[in-house]
Amino acid sequence: MGLFILRRLGIMVLTALCLTFIVFWLTNLAPNLEKLAKTQGNARMSDEAVVTWLANRGYSQPLPIKYGQWLGVLPGYVIEGTDGDVRARCSTPGEPLETAPTFCGILQGDWGYSTVAKDEVTSVLPVRLANTGKLMFWVLIIMIPSALIIGILAGMREGSRTDRALSTTAIVSTATPEYVSGVILISFFATGTFGMQWFKGVASGAVSDANFENFFLPVITISLYAIGYIARMTRASMAEVMTAQYIRTARLKGVSFPKIVLKHALRNALIAPFTVIMLQIPWLLTGVVIVESLFVYQGFGWELVRAASNNDIEMLLAISVVSVFVVLVTQLISDIGYVFLNPRIRIS
Amino acid sequence: MTHDNKSIHPAALMYAQEEKAGKLSRREFLTRTTALGLTATAAYGLIGAAAPAQAAGHVQQGGTMRIQMEVRGLKDPRTFDWPQISYYAAGWLEYLVEYNNDGSFTPALLESWSASDDATEYTLNVRQGVTWNDGTPFTAADVAFNITGWCDRTVEGNSMAGRFAALIDPATDKALEGAITVVDDYTVVLKSPVPDISLIAGMADYPAHIVPQDFDAENMLANPKGTGAYLPESLEVGVGGTLVRNEGHDWWGYAAGKGAFIDRFEFIDYGTDPSAWVAAAAAEEVDVIYETVGDFVDILDGMGWEKSEVASGSTVVIRPNQLAEVDGMQPYADVRVRRAIAMAVDPAVVLELGNANRGVPARNQHVGPMHPEWADVPAMEFDPAGALALLTEAGMADFEMDIISIDDDWRKNSTDAVAAQLRDAGFNVKRTIIPGSTFWNDWTKYPFSSTDWNHRPLGTQILALAYRTGEAWNESGFANAEFDALLAEANSLADADARREVMAKLQTIMRDEGVTLQPYWRSLYRHVRPGVVGGQMNIAYLPRLHEFGFAA
Amino acid sequence: MDALTWTGSLGTFLNPAFMLLAGLLAVAIVAQIVLSFFAAPVTLQSNPDGTLEARGGMLGLTETAVHYLFLGTLVVVVAYIVVPQVMPYGAAGIIGELSKRFLPVWIALISLYTVSIIYKRKLGLYGKLFDSTVGMIGFGLVMFWVFTAIFVGMFDMIATHDYLSQVSGLKNKLPGVAVPEGTEGVIPHYLLGGDNLARDIFSRMVAGSVFVISIAPLATIFAFMVGITLGLPAGYYGGKLDTILSFLANLILAFPVILLFYLLVTPEIVLTGIPSYMAAFLFVFPLIFFGVLLNSRYYTQPSKRNAIMIPVLGVLLWLYLSIINQPGTVINFLPAWMDLFDISILVVFVSVVFVNAPTVFRIVRGLTLDLRTRDYVAAAQTRGEGAWYIMLWEILPNARGPLIVDFCLRIGYTTILLGTLGFFGLGLSSESPDWGSTINEGRKLLLIFAHPALPPAVALLSLVLGLNLLADGLREESLKD
Repeated sequence: MGLFILRRLGIMVLTALCLTFIVFWLTNLAPNLEKLAKTQGNARMSDEAVVTWLANRGYSQPLPIKYGQWLGVLPGYVIEGTDGDVRARCSTPGEPLETAPTFCGILQGDWGYSTVAKDEVTSVLPVRLANTGKLMFWVLIIMIPSALIIGILAGMREGSRTDRALSTTAIVSTATPEYVSGVILISFFATGTFGMQWFKGVASGAVSDANFENFFLPVITISLYAIGYIARMTRASMAEVMTAQYIRTARLKGVSFPKIVLKHALRNALIAPFTVIMLQIPWLLTGVVIVESLFVYQGFGWELVRAASNNDIEMLLAISVVSVFVVLVTQLISDIGYVFLNPRIRIS
Repeated sequence: MTHDNKSIHPAALMYAQEEKAGKLSRREFLTRTTALGLTATAAYGLIGAAAPAQAAGHVQQGGTMRIQMEVRGLKDPRTFDWPQISYYAAGWLEYLVEYNNDGSFTPALLESWSASDDATEYTLNVRQGVTWNDGTPFTAADVAFNITGWCDRTVEGNSMAGRFAALIDPATDKALEGAITVVDDYTVVLKSPVPDISLIAGMADYPAHIVPQDFDAENMLANPKGTGAYLPESLEVGVGGTLVRNEGHDWWGYAAGKGAFIDRFEFIDYGTDPSAWVAAAAAEEVDVIYETVGDFVDILDGMGWEKSEVASGSTVVIRPNQLAEVDGMQPYADVRVRRAIAMAVDPAVVLELGNANRGVPARNQHVGPMHPEWADVPAMEFDPAGALALLTEAGMADFEMDIISIDDDWRKNSTDAVAAQLRDAGFNVKRTIIPGSTFWNDWTKYPFSSTDWNHRPLGTQILALAYRTGEAWNESGFANAEFDALLAEANSLADADARREVMAKLQTIMRDEGVTLQPYWRSLYRHVRPGVVGGQMNIAYLPRLHEFGFAA
Repeated sequence: MDALTWTGSLGTFLNPAFMLLAGLLAVAIVAQIVLSFFAAPVTLQSNPDGTLEARGGMLGLTETAVHYLFLGTLVVVVAYIVVPQVMPYGAAGIIGELSKRFLPVWIALISLYTVSIIYKRKLGLYGKLFDSTVGMIGFGLVMFWVFTAIFVGMFDMIATHDYLSQVSGLKNKLPGVAVPEGTEGVIPHYLLGGDNLARDIFSRMVAGSVFVISIAPLATIFAFMVGITLGLPAGYYGGKLDTILSFLANLILAFPVILLFYLLVTPEIVLTGIPSYMAAFLFVFPLIFFGVLLNSRYYTQPSKRNAIMIPVLGVLLWLYLSIINQPGTVINFLPAWMDLFDISILVVFVSVVFVNAPTVFRIVRGLTLDLRTRDYVAAAQTRGEGAWYIMLWEILPNARGPLIVDFCLRIGYTTILLGTLGFFGLGLSSESPDWGSTINEGRKLLLIFAHPALPPAVALLSLVLGLNLLADGLREESLKD
């Protein structure tokens, strides 16, 4: 087991390295750097000014060197600009250059500086992640029980009217992307159009003070899309279990139907949904991006959109590392969980 | 107000005569006379009118004002490219002069100013008794320091340099020797080699914040030295920012009755999508919407919010670039093509579809009735059939015009409306849309694209910025020696009628050359929650935080 | 011209009937579901006389009620569609006119279903679809939009106005509004109203179907070609090849989709030519696929192989070159007469393929891993068949069931993805009538005008729903094999 996890960690580091290099390369393409200069310097800057702006801030160095500096295996640049100021990668504003360290990269724990947020990545991103964590917590709280209940109810009597009705609901909910359901929910429940102005259409207040009123709509919008998918998986798994020999034996022995469902079928039927739920978490990320943009909730997805549209290089790199981490860790947990939950694998 | 009537500029008296004779509108009169150094009260006095009373009596002291606004990162004020940055920075960095919606200039950190008769020499009288918030007095040296800084073209992105071009030495890209002189502790004299009537207007633009001499842009938040009544408490770019009253600081405005009623400003960023702002308003999370655009004006009206409206010189231009090459040729170098484009588009329809009829139609001349020197030059006739004939004559009937715009509400819609009208006239048109974050990379070089232009007090300012040969912001690639010569002439004329005559020629060139489509003048709107006072929309988006308050 | 009402004179009879029946149906369904929790399991008892005894009691009653109410509602709905065809213009209101506009689609759907049901026993898996109600409903929804796209895109039929022309005075006007005199168009009304730029919402919606129906399946096919061509050898050979390809696939999958789009679908990246190179790489896979497919089958008969392969590959190569060749990008070498298409949204297309391909790869690889241990594979190996022959002619046909199901689901997912791109304003022109962009446009004014956003939202929803139902039906039927 230890070796297995160690190997997975190795792959994770390798993936993160490859991924960040790709992101680094794409964000450092000349047109993207020009965009950066214009958003940071002045939107209506001349071409010559762009060139000196970039050179003065170390963006004109060769790509591998810049990447090495970001990783912390190469010394950070110290450049005397054309305007006479000396700028160094590792300096902190307000402190003399001489005290700055030589190396400052990931290996030194320095994740760089967000050009849009005008702050260290390490002080911005954790806040955003915590916000998204809060959102995801409530999404999971709503999503998992409701998806499982729908799936189990539908799957325990396959082909019944209940099954048909619930399955159709599940299909409709998976067929409704967040940008459609969010829009519909806002127009119904956050405006006075239909006389049901119960919730708020913006969630930025939820960052500091989340309550039912400002947090319900974003949570339910993300949940709806995922509920359908997980419910269908649960239904399929449940339906399969219900046709298994041991269930049939139990029924023939005269065990009551609710007891069969609760004591015998449920445990085995939940193995598949568990892995699905874990693998669904990275998928939820897309939904998080849409919903956080739609409801203006300053979380991870919102930061992603902001960083991507402003070519905030070091923030994007940190975001990539986080998402690789999330994807691979959820995969790992789902694998390990599968082993623990499934008696056949556990015993052998 | 300590204006000395003995030193009234001769031109101001002349303007007063013209105003009384009906030759000059009141707003033109105010812009011109106050730019020459008159106080608004004195200017109103010259024409025998009373200055509008300041409605300050019913404002309650204190409170927290929550303003929906894009919260952007701070940087050197000279390089500010969004008025929203100024709203935050204005808490502690103030202006020399303020520009009012009625077109007049009010002194702020300056006590008064006067101009020489030929508009080449300006005397600035610095307000006495103003202190920096560290206790040191604010003097003429500080003013000179700032103006010298504005004239430094070597600072990347310094847009103040364009406004003070008259004082800049082209050889060194810095201020001319002897252009800025500190006479005594409270007097600065500016001397420019060419007459320039727009210097005071330049000082009233939003990047013209007055910074201390030991200013460090990298560290401006940690060390917020300024003259203003507030201090920054927190700033999270894209999320929000807070200003709080600087309790220990004796702001000069308290004594001058300037207000500063609010104790705490909270700027909250709801992104660029207006529907999110409306949602925030509906959720009662904000008191002020920074700017309401297009159809959202109606929505907020419907919600019972109070609207303030100002007709402005803000506009959108949809211009072909005469120098741009498409497939190895310069499609818009031919004046017939440009005229055909202008003839095929009805400005009123663009206004209706592009900006929900919020504004007045314009005449593709980029100078309008809100400018003091505007001449009444008729527009080109709307004639789609003639347009197609002209285009065919130029041999460009099959050419596919690719019209580029930014991805937002009214600019995109206006461009779409133009594209649809060109299509209706039989032109071959394609539309390309570029996200806001990347649009500005090449904005001056797109072959055919739309750009928004903010209001500027004087018509010559715009023509000089956007249409003079070789200017950095000349996005239409227009190069016309006659135009340049006329513009230089206009800039040196203080006399009204003479100037208008030159302006008529300039506007005719703009029209006949089909330099640009400039379909309408935009009205600017701001909505405030009932009970908020003093938060009127400013014609030039200037932050006037000291006026905000809650009704008592 | 007066504005149209929703149902016109038809509504006087049909509306109350519809309300009544639909309301009762809803009540009955809910009652039935609630009752079913308390009822004994279904037991069909066969009586000695050979008849079957169905369930009685309350539940049985509601079941019968649901059945008849459903039929009744269906009749009314059909009446809404059929009756207007014989009524004069405008008499049957907006719904009637909509139904008339879709007449070619109805005819096509009815003929398709008649033919398919008659010959369903001879049509393999497709025929079996008509044994499943869910499958039939799903297929109907999908084909509705496919036919709409065909009639709009190829014959210029259904749409009533030019989807780009703006008519002054119709900005944000409600459904059924009359257009001013002299406006070009088939009918003198905007059936579903005008949008924010005074364009006809109905025409934009049906024009949007052309975009979605032509891009989504095509992009999915390309993704499948890439996924299959790489997934088969990865699963079949395993080892280093598998490790490397799986690593790359997981690498792409570890990217948040939106970040990938933001990095790929921006004007800057288009400027650098990266999408063109990616297109050149990704779109070569169909060529490889068909080349290998035919070669592995016919390599023992070189003359036959050449006779088949040269024309097939020739046509594919031409298509390939005209797809990747775009004026204004780095790859632009073909003379204009040879360049068949001008895909202005190449970058969108490439990105969608790029995002989907790794998932397909993983599915194909998994299926291959499973199937390669089967007896028929061993038999082919003993016969001495080549590796590619076994992969493409033995394993692939046996993996078709799950692949077809995933294909349907993936088209739906691609449709959603295209909408997401529109939502973030990436890559598509602002005037594009595609549903994602129009939803995003309409969303902005949702607080006062709901009508511009709803038709594209309903359209997108129904297409994706149809694809999901179709996939469900196919899965059910293929499991019965």
